Amino acid sequence: MTVATTNTPLLERQYARLGALLIAPTIVVFSLVIVYPLLAAIYLSLFSIYTPTLEGDFVGFANYWDLLSGREFWNSLRVTLVWTVGTLSLQIVLGVGMALLLHQNIWFRSLARSLVLFPYFLSTVVAVLVWRWLFNDLYGAMNHGLMQLGILDMPLDWLGSMPNAMIGVILVGAWKYFPFVVIAVLARLQTIPDHLYEAARIDGAGPIARFWDVTLPQLRSVLVVIILLRAIWDFKEFDLIYLLTGGGPVTSTQTLSLLVYQEAFALNQMGQAAAYSVGMMLVMLVFMLVYLRKTGGR
Amino acid sequence: MADVTLKNVRKSFGTFTALENLDIEIRSGEFVALLGPSGCGKSTTLRMLAGLEFPSAGEISIDGRVVNDVAPGKRDIAMVFQSYALYPHMTVGQNIAYPLRKRGVPKDERAAAVQKAAELLQLEPLLDRKPAQLSGGQQQRVALGRALVREPKVFLLDEPLSNLDAKLRSYMRAELIELHRRLGKTMVYVTHDQLEAMTMADRIAVMHGGRLQQFDTPDAVYNRPANRFVASFIGTPSMNQIEGTLAGDTFTRGAMTVPLDRARFAAEDGPCVMGVRPEAVTIGTGHVAATIRLVENTGHELIVSLALEDGTRLLSRVEAGRRLSIGQTVQITFEPDAIHLFAPEDDGARLNTDEDASVIPMRSH
Ligand SMILES: Nc1ncnc2c1ncn2[C@@H]1O[C@H](COP(=O)(O)OP(=O)(O)OP(=O)(O)O)[C@@H](O)[C@H]1O
Ligand SMILES: [Mg+2]
Repeated sequence: MTVATTNTPLLERQYARLGALLIAPTIVVFSLVIVYPLLAAIYLSLFSIYTPTLEGDFVGFANYWDLLSGREFWNSLRVTLVWTVGTLSLQIVLGVGMALLLHQNIWFRSLARSLVLFPYFLSTVVAVLVWRWLFNDLYGAMNHGLMQLGILDMPLDWLGSMPNAMIGVILVGAWKYFPFVVIAVLARLQTIPDHLYEAARIDGAGPIARFWDVTLPQLRSVLVVIILLRAIWDFKEFDLIYLLTGGGPVTSTQTLSLLVYQEAFALNQMGQAAAYSVGMMLVMLVFMLVYLRKTGGR
Repeated sequence: MADVTLKNVRKSFGTFTALENLDIEIRSGEFVALLGPSGCGKSTTLRMLAGLEFPSAGEISIDGRVVNDVAPGKRDIAMVFQSYALYPHMTVGQNIAYPLRKRGVPKDERAAAVQKAAELLQLEPLLDRKPAQLSGGQQQRVALGRALVREPKVFLLDEPLSNLDAKLRSYMRAELIELHRRLGKTMVYVTHDQLEAMTMADRIAVMHGGRLQQFDTPDAVYNRPANRFVASFIGTPSMNQIEGTLAGDTFTRGAMTVPLDRARFAAEDGPCVMGVRPEAVTIGTGHVAATIRLVENTGHELIVSLALEDGTRLLSRVEAGRRLSIGQTVQITFEPDAIHLFAPEDDGARLNTDEDASVIPMRSH
């Protein structure tokens, strides 16, 4: 008895030491893969570096001055926001809609559930090739179909002109990533107790009222997470846009990721690219803080 | 006019028949309990009244109107779920106001109605809380408030007290009785707890295996059970049922013979089952010998487990304070007026003729 009481603090200290020991590897790895590149990027951004040789001179904040005074960063930021907001809202609407549909007792439900994941599993390169073929202005199926239906009377240059290029990129992004929303929302839908819907029916709520008053509030928490994650991922999206339009026409679909890439490997300005990426990170940080502040309290 | 009726209702889930030949007529303002063991179809019956399930055959009407095809929201009923089913993101006030909001009641009227319901159920201090911040009993009251705020014709309650602890349950039982008395509305109350049914209901519908066994007052289901199932289901400890043979003026089982007044029974000679409630088995005098096997003291009475000479087990209820010891051989008597006879089948019907003779006068121990 006395042994137990005197030993408790010691035991707790031992546990604390064990805990520190157990998370140490995580902290080391975290520092190596996250903190080091972050610090390196900030360090690089203070130099003017020629990419192939990685040699350059310290220029202080000159790269940041260029960022603030030049047009490129702000243009790309605007493009990134249009892309992110556009594709993310489409993903959410499509994803929630599809999840609601798949939650119904329809006979092809299990088949549809696996089919819907297809775009998400498909490699981006393959998906983009297919879409470029569909979007092609000369032999693309999209133009062919729309002309057959009488919606278009001239073939449209889908990826080569604005605003079509942006619309095309947003559509493909939504198509590629909405399955993620479907899966997460569907999982949550299945945990909503039937009794809530039954109570709402007895209380006189129709299908639409039941969606707003029961389903949506229950989905709130999962939607917060989905929007947070997808916003980060869409904001950083590179391969899909790069492969689809390469940022063109001119720079009209050049998001920040593409700008950084171009600056680093096409213009060979690694220092300037690093400054852009630090700027990009700061923008994201601001958004995340605002977002977490708005939703975190509940 | 009957307020709620089920006419020859059947309900099947696929090939499984959950309810059959269900005929119930509930009078306006009546408090009816649906009582039966788990899986007997009580909830299904209630959900059909609510419109959450549809009968496979038969007719359901509420206030003279056939409602088979009427949506739950249009039946003028309210339901309290066992799990309460409160909307978790709404405050107590919003929960209670919800059925009014969905019916387009103006805001100030809504507020007044919520206020009234909250007063009735003593929920005023809780109106701004979320359901997750309430105790089980408080949630239960909110669910009741949401049900009664729009003054429906019929209240449907599915085991509303089963999640509460014993003390709160008996408190809420009294509250519900009081509420029913004050509102005078028809209430259909599902329970598997006979104490709830006996104490609260005007009439009890005893169900078993998807069939209605008896639909009568608590007094009648206790004193004049329609069949062996009702006899054994109602009453704790349940009625002794002894299989034996009826011949002339005696019921025989092994060495035991019990004299009967044949005029009281519409039974023919042959195999039958004698039913005697434990309180009608008196220990002390008589010509049936039994051995005491177990004595359980509940405080105000003793439940005595007896074995007849051929091993048949019987229960007796006697006043506390009697000196009875295990292994002791005693003489027992069955109170002649309290003897029931049943047909020998598992659900054998009761064969007594004189309906009131078997009512046991309340004995004061
Ligand atoms: N949706 C359903 N599909 C198939 N069978 C069902 C369904 N709902 C109920 N049943 C069956 O119908 C029978 C009656 O069910 P019900 O829920 O009415 O029982 P209950 O009397 O309320 O029981 P409990 O006291 O356990 O709540 C049960 O055997 C149950 O398995
Ligand atoms: Mg039930």
